[in-house]
This record gives sequence, C-alpha cells and structure tokens, in this order.
Amino acid sequence: MLLQLNNIFKWVNSGGQRIFLLKDINLEVEEGEFISVMGPSGSGKSTLLNVIGMLDGFDEGEYHFLDESVHNLKEKHRSNLYKEYIGFVFQSYHLLDELTVKENLEMPLLYKKYKGAERKAMVADMLDRFNIVGKKDLFPTQLSGGQQQLVGVARALIANPKLILADEPTGNLNSQQSEEIMALFKKLNEEDGVTIIQVTHSEKNAAYGSRIVNLLDGRKV
Amino acid sequence: MIKNHLKIAWRNLLRNKAFSLLNVFGLSAGLAVTTLIILWINFELEYDRFHDKIDRIYEVNNQHQINGELWTWNSTPKPMAPVIKEDYPEVESVSRFFGDIEFLFTHNNKNLKAKGTIVDPDFLNIFSFPLLQGEVENVLNEINGVVITETLAHKMFNDKNPIGKTIKIDNSDIFKITGVLKDLPLNTKFDFEFLIPWSYLKKKGHDDENWSNNSVTTYVMLGANTSYAGFSKKIKALRKNYDKSSPEMVTYLYPYARTYLYSKFENGKEVGGRIDYIQLFACIAGIILLIACINFMNLSTARSAKRAKEVGIKKAIGAPKKILIMQFLGESILLTSIAAVLTLGIVSLVLPYFNALINRPLSLNLTNVWFWLSAAGTVILTGVLAGSYPAFYLSAFRPSKVLKGTIQKVNTLVAPRKILVVLQFTIAIILITATLIISQQLNNTQNRQLGYVKDNLIYSLMEGDTEKKYNIIVEELLGQGAVSSITKTNSPVTESWSNSWDMEWVGKQEDDQTLILRMHADNAVVETMGLELVQGRDINLNKYPSDSTAVILNISALEHMGFEDPIGQVIKDNGTDWHVIGVVKDFVFNSPFQKIEPLIIEGAKGWFNVIHMKLNDANTTSENLKVVERVFEKHNPVYPFNFEFVDSAYANKFNDNKRTKKLTVLFTILTILISCLGLFGLASYMAENRIKEIGIRKVLGASVNTITTLLSKDFLKLVLISVLIATPISSYCMNKWLESFEYRITVSWLTFVQAGLLTISIAFVTVSSQAIRAARSNPIKSLTTE
Ligand SMILES: Nc1ncnc2c1ncn2[C@@H]1O[C@H](COP(=O)(O)OP(=O)(O)OP(=O)(O)O)[C@@H](O)[C@H]1O
Ligand SMILES: [Mg+2]
Repeated sequence: MLLQLNNIFKWVNSGGQRIFLLKDINLEVEEGEFISVMGPSGSGKSTLLNVIGMLDGFDEGEYHFLDESVHNLKEKHRSNLYKEYIGFVFQSYHLLDELTVKENLEMPLLYKKYKGAERKAMVADMLDRFNIVGKKDLFPTQLSGGQQQLVGVARALIANPKLILADEPTGNLNSQQSEEIMALFKKLNEEDGVTIIQVTHSEKNAAYGSRIVNLLDGRKV
Repeated sequence: MIKNHLKIAWRNLLRNKAFSLLNVFGLSAGLAVTTLIILWINFELEYDRFHDKIDRIYEVNNQHQINGELWTWNSTPKPMAPVIKEDYPEVESVSRFFGDIEFLFTHNNKNLKAKGTIVDPDFLNIFSFPLLQGEVENVLNEINGVVITETLAHKMFNDKNPIGKTIKIDNSDIFKITGVLKDLPLNTKFDFEFLIPWSYLKKKGHDDENWSNNSVTTYVMLGANTSYAGFSKKIKALRKNYDKSSPEMVTYLYPYARTYLYSKFENGKEVGGRIDYIQLFACIAGIILLIACINFMNLSTARSAKRAKEVGIKKAIGAPKKILIMQFLGESILLTSIAAVLTLGIVSLVLPYFNALINRPLSLNLTNVWFWLSAAGTVILTGVLAGSYPAFYLSAFRPSKVLKGTIQKVNTLVAPRKILVVLQFTIAIILITATLIISQQLNNTQNRQLGYVKDNLIYSLMEGDTEKKYNIIVEELLGQGAVSSITKTNSPVTESWSNSWDMEWVGKQEDDQTLILRMHADNAVVETMGLELVQGRDINLNKYPSDSTAVILNISALEHMGFEDPIGQVIKDNGTDWHVIGVVKDFVFNSPFQKIEPLIIEGAKGWFNVIHMKLNDANTTSENLKVVERVFEKHNPVYPFNFEFVDSAYANKFNDNKRTKKLTVLFTILTILISCLGLFGLASYMAENRIKEIGIRKVLGASVNTITTLLSKDFLKLVLISVLIATPISSYCMNKWLESFEYRITVSWLTFVQAGLLTISIAFVTVSSQAIRAARSNPIKSLTTE
C-alpha cells in the first residue's frame, strides 16, 4: 500500500462557524493505481490533492504514506518525504518564467543534491523522452500551453517519484493536447508503474484511470 | 545551486530593468550623499587634532561684563605672554601669535609676496609643525632669523639649500633662513609660509606694554602634570596686578582642541559653533541614508508579491525553507553590492565638485580598513534588512496558498509604507522651504541699499613707499585724469578694523560701553565713496587745514550720542579732540547681514593702511587701471601694484551664504529625487497589481480620468499630510536660522504655500504618470492574461 487516509477532516473557521472543506475522508491507494478524482466545482478536489501531496495540512484524522505517519511528522521530515516520492502537475503549469525549459527540469534535482553530471544526464533523458530537445533553451513564455504542460509533467517525473498528483492537468489545453497528456499518463502508469492521482472534470479523461473517487461538499460519495 | 539562484536573481534584474535601475540608483544616490557627508564630518572632527600635546594646549581668552552681558573673546595684550611665563611655573610654554601678515621677500632680484606671522620661540614647541631643517630649540632665537616652509623655500631658492641664505624682508631688513618647515597640513587653521621671532617686532619698536590694546593671540601649554581645573582658577585674576584700565577682566584658558568646532560663546558659556553644522549634517546624512534604505526595502517588498509564485513552485518541487530564505537575502545583498559599487563611482566622480562647494580638500582613502569595513557593514545590513521581509514572509507560506494567489498583493498602501511616504515628503518639503527662504534672504541682503557707491571704486593696501610718496601719487593720479577722487583710510570700506567704547563727548552716559566703529580718512571721503551727506560737509584738507582733526558721524552715531546740533561738537578719542563737521546717512560698513552700528570717520590725524580711488567715469576701467598701475609702480617700484574692486570684495561677503544655499539646493534635489523614485516604484507596482481591476472597471465603462484619480488619490493624501507636518517644523527651523542675521527677511506664509504646491505637483506628476499609463492600457490584454 502506498498511502492511506483515515477519517480526514479539514475545516476553516469563518464568522464563528466551522466550514468543512473535507469531511471524514477514507482512502487507500495501492502502488500502481491510476485514480481520477471527480466532483462539482468547490467540492474539495484540489483540497484533497493538496493534503495528499502534503502541500497543505488537515485538522483531524490519520495519514499514512508508505510506513510513515504523516500526521505525526515534523515539517522538515514531511518535506523530505514528498521531495522523495511525489511529483506535482498543475493546471496552470507553474513553470518558473525566469528559467529555460532545461533549467526548469533541473530544479527538482538541485534540491535533492544530485551531482552535476548526473543532473545533466537525467535532464537530457527527459528532454529526449518528451521529445522537447529542440525547446530546451526556450523560456516558458515562448511555448504553447500544451508544450508547457509537457514540461510540467516532465519536471514532475524527473526525480523518479512513486506518485504523481495532477490537478486538472488538461484544464487549459485543447482536446488534442489533452489526449496526448492522458496517453502519456497511461503509459507512465502501465510501463513504469507510477501511481497517479488526477483531478478532472472530464469523463473521458477519467476513463484513462483505473478507479474514480467522487467528492461532494468535501465528502466521498 | 548558488549558480541557479544567481541566475534567477540576475534574470529578474534584467527583466525588470527599469525597476532594478530605479532601486539600485536610488540606494546609491543615498549612499553617495552619506559617504560625502561622512568624509566631510571626519575631516572636520580631525581638524587641528594632530598636535602631539593637543591635550595641554590652550588659547588665552578674556571674559568681561559689557552692558550686563558676559563677553568672551580671544585677542590678548602683547605683554600678557611674558607675564604668564614669569608668574606661572605650571605653564611649560607660551607663545604669542601676531596674526596674519604679508611681507615682500627679496632674494637676488626675485620679489615674492609671502604670508606669515610673528611668534615667540616656544611656538614650535607647542604646535607640532615638523622642521625639515633646523632645531626646534633655536630656529626662532635669532632676531633676524626666519623659518620658512618647504614650498616657499623652493620658490625662493629652487633646489639650493636655503639654510643660511639671506633674504630682504619688506625691502628693508635682512633675514637669514634658520629653518625649513614641512608644508602645513590642510587640516589646521594656521596658514603661514614663514615665522619670524617676536624679538624682531621688539627691535622695530612695534612691541608695547599696553594692556588695553588686545591685538594678539596667546597660546599656552601646561606642564604634563598640571590640572586644568586647578590652574584655570589660579590664572583667572591675572590682570589684577597689571591691567590698570580693566583689572577685573577675567583671563580664561580655552582648550585649543575645542577652538575649531566650538568657540561660540554666549554670556560666558560655550554654545557651540561649527559643531552645530556638523550635527546638522550628520542628521541630514542619517536621514537621507534612512530614506534611501527604507525606499530600497519598500520597493523590494512591493515586488515580493510577484515572487510569491516562484516561492510556491519551488516549495512544491521540494525546496527547503532555509534555501529560499538564503536566496532572497542573497539577491538583496547582490543588489546592495551593485549599489555600493555604483556609490564608489559616484563619490569619486563628484568629490572634486563637492570639495569646491564646501571648500575642503576631502579625499577617499581606499587603503583605510575602516572604510571598507563600514562599507561592507552598510551593504550587508541594508541588504539583509531589505531582503528579510520577502525572505521570511514569503517562505513561511504554505505553497498551496501561494500558488492559489490568495496571498495579499500590494493593492493598497499598508501602514509602514504610508509612514515612509509621509516621512520622505515631510523632509523634502522642509528642505524645499529652506531653499526658498535661504535664497530670499540672500537676494534680499544682496539687494540691500549700501549707502555708498561701489561701482568703479577700488582700493589698494599701502606698502613700501606709498606712505612716503602719497602726496605726489595723489597729484599724478588726479592730474592724469585716471581717478576722479581719492582718499586714504585705515581699512577698506568693506571691513571694520577698529572700534572703541572709550570715546567721550558731552552728554555721554556714565555706564555707556557701546562699541563705536572707527574709520580714518584723510580727505574727500564722502566724495570718493559716494556717501550721502545729511548735514555739514565733506573733509577738505586743502581748503580747511584744521580738518586734520575733523570727524564725520553716521546717523546711528548721531542718534546714539544725542547731539541736537552736531556740527561743531567735540568727540574725544585717543587723546585728540575731534570736531564734528558733517553727518552722513548710514552705510553698510562691515557685514551686510548685520544692522548698521554707530560709526565715526576721523580726519587726517589718524593712521592709514588703505587707499581708496574712485576711477574716472569718463574713461574705460582698463585705461584708468593702466594709468594707476603706472603711477604706483613709478613711485613704489619694488612692490607689484595691488588692488581690489570694492564691488567684488563686497560680493565675497556672500560666499558663505551662497555655499549654504548651494548645499541646501543639492540636498533638496537629492531628497526629492530619492523620494520620487520610491513613490514612482510604489505607484507603478500598485498599478501593475491592479491591472485586472482596472481592466474590469474599463470594460464596465470607467474613464481614464476616474481611474487615474482612483490610483493617485491615496498617494496625494499622504503628501498632503506631509505638508501639514512639515510646515510648522520648517517655520520654526528657518526662523531660528534667520535669527543669526540682524538684517533679515520676515518669512511669509506664501513661501510655505509655494513649497507645498511644488511638492504636491512633483508628487502628482510622478504618481499620475503611472496611473495614466495603467488607465490607458487595453483592458482586453490585461484580462486575458491568466
Ligand atoms: N482558505 C479557505 N477559506 C475558506 N474556504 C476555502 C478555503 N480554501 C478553500 N475553500 C473552500 O473549499 C471548497 C473546496 O475548494 P477546492 O479548491 O478544493 O474545490 P475544487 O473541488 O478543487 O473546485 P474546482 O473544481 O472549481 O477547482 C470551496 O468551496 C472553497 O470555497
Ligand atoms: Mg480545483
């Protein structure tokens, strides 16, 4: 088992009232799964993904990732954990505008203390794999949306994570670009065994996955 | 990693070129001014402190009650020094200083004017002016021995050894060079090229035992173990046994180390002096540095919202907090370092002009360890302070929040920024007001009615044979038509060299100790100087030989003496009965910044130093001068002809004030510049961050005007607050400044309105340029991004 959420609650206080963003979420994810999270806007999909990705905390419940109890970990330890095992893909790509494609890909490796030669090899490998060698010296603003998301996925993958979290990765893309990214995800999942959790509004995209988790008002349905 | 950060930092800099430039330039301008002022202050604080025994050197001052007030001054009678040496064994050395004199030096047909003075042999024991040749113990012991500086030696003898060579001084006495001094450093108030021993003065019969004639400075050096407190009590009553006319006058030892920076006394108490200016400028330096630094921080943090995304992404990718903090601090320090390098450039470029402005020989000592340490300290401190907000604030956020953009953008001015803007503009307004008032005061004084005609009037100091040949010189000058009128006086019309409270007249009050200025003029003084007669007549020796004891009063003197019918009255002064023959309107005799004091002009029986000549208006100035020069050189051949235009001598009196004005203008412009840089940066960033809001408003129908107003309003409100704070402060300060002038303007409220309006317009232009640009932008563009 890769991760397990037990009775997760998350809330905010507003005007003396407690507003629940996540209510009693229980979820088990096995290694090699490809899960799609679905639900209407505002149902808590992004919130759930951020909690799983440890970008955000929660107020109640237990979260086990591999053998670690995330709810008991210190901030530093937690960040080591996700640095090691998790890659993120965002709807709006979130590439660093000041860095070229190559440098963007290199970023995560820098924080993991890979050697220079190693980094170079890994970046070259990724560029090759995603067919973007020709774009390596361009800045993100010089790329199309689909190309940017390709770089985003490549960046998420570069450090060989066990889990990829993707929040509406195709939200800003046209249908052809979407299909390319989805096909890529499927290939990664099937050939490399990478676990994927994606948030999506599209039934078609969800069909790429092996399982669908539905949310409504912060609750699993 | 570092490389990566540097890369981002550098590209960030380049991407926001205009902004980075503004920020770096603003900071370096502030740093440059501060550096200049610190260099200057440093120079002033070390002025005349290099003497080895500075702690034991004192200047002898007098303190005396005059009209109920305790006055302090530093000129002493000639016989005081020998008495101190005789009566007080605690004193190790004592020396008189005659005051500056100019002598003609002649050697093998080479004539050279040199500036120097007459001192006692102990002078070089007291002050540390090292000798290159000769011994301190005996260089000033020979009556006709003279010590000269290396520069003068070089001018006189080229490379030959000057020791033992003879020179003729003032075309009369032969002197032997006994010693050569190293040239005086620039940071001493002494300024002489030669020293002549006091024994020479005695031999020439110019020494005197008159305790009422306070005309020389006396310096003493106490023994190493003498306590100042104890000794000053002892020496207090020195005059009691010697000074018949004012035995109660107090003798007071003033530490020499304090004379340059302090030495302003009010009612017997030291009340500052130059130190006031130094403190003022230290304040200004601090404020400008503060403004520049806060500006820098402000602009850096205004941009931090933009950087939030970067932080979020980096955190999502796995960057530890520590590294992000380091990155921001590093970037900020990088920027400050660039500013520091730029500062060095600016300072070395500007230093010569600044030196000319303040009349000081400052230099940047790049070999000084302290300089580099403090520079590095400033860079790191400013860098860390400016970088700390984005570093700690942003890196502490959860990435999910930062990436969602919920972190607060700089849409509104937060309190610290408001305070900063108010502070900056308060200072700017105070400085603008100061500039206006200083210029008004200067203009007003320059346009003051003089009471004499300075055009075409020249004066020449009497040297060599001019005294002896005076009559023939006058005859020839008038005869050849170069000069329409001529008079000899004791001082130039622009300077008062003589005064007294001892004059007597019928009806003088018993306790009247008012100083009356004294001028001597042999003949035709009213005509030559263009004074305005109110009663009586000019001095005319040819027609009335008895005019040698004539006296002319100015109106202030007439009012002070209270004569009903002044003509024919007698004034006793210096043992002579002077009879009043005329009264002239008040004229500016000494400082144009002072009110006019009572003055009398005594006739030919006085003593004379200066010849005033009114050039003939019918000829050109150069024709007249050629003739005058020829006449003087004919009758006084050894001395080169010297003269001064009265109008330029008068104009020189404004140099200090002109300098103050220039400095103020400089600081004002800089402060406004730095303040506006900050305002500009803030305004442009706020406009940028509200670009979406502006787009929506425009789509909904808002006009460019309403949007401009919306964006500028907040800033202008702050500037208005600054006007309210600055006005009373500057009113107080400037009135205080004006009090140091007797002849002064009254400050009009219009000046404050002017300063306020000027500031508001500058601020408006700065802010609205950004606001208008934002308001004009195409809304489609701003709405489709993101
Ligand atoms: N800091 C917060 N304070 C209050 N409410 C919040 C906060 N963050 C999120 N919410 C609320 O939590 C709910 C879930 O938000 P979330 O972003 O997870 O929705 P989502 O399912 O991802 O929607 P979408 O499909 O539109 O992206 C929303 O109703 C949102 O308003
Ligand atoms: Mg969402």
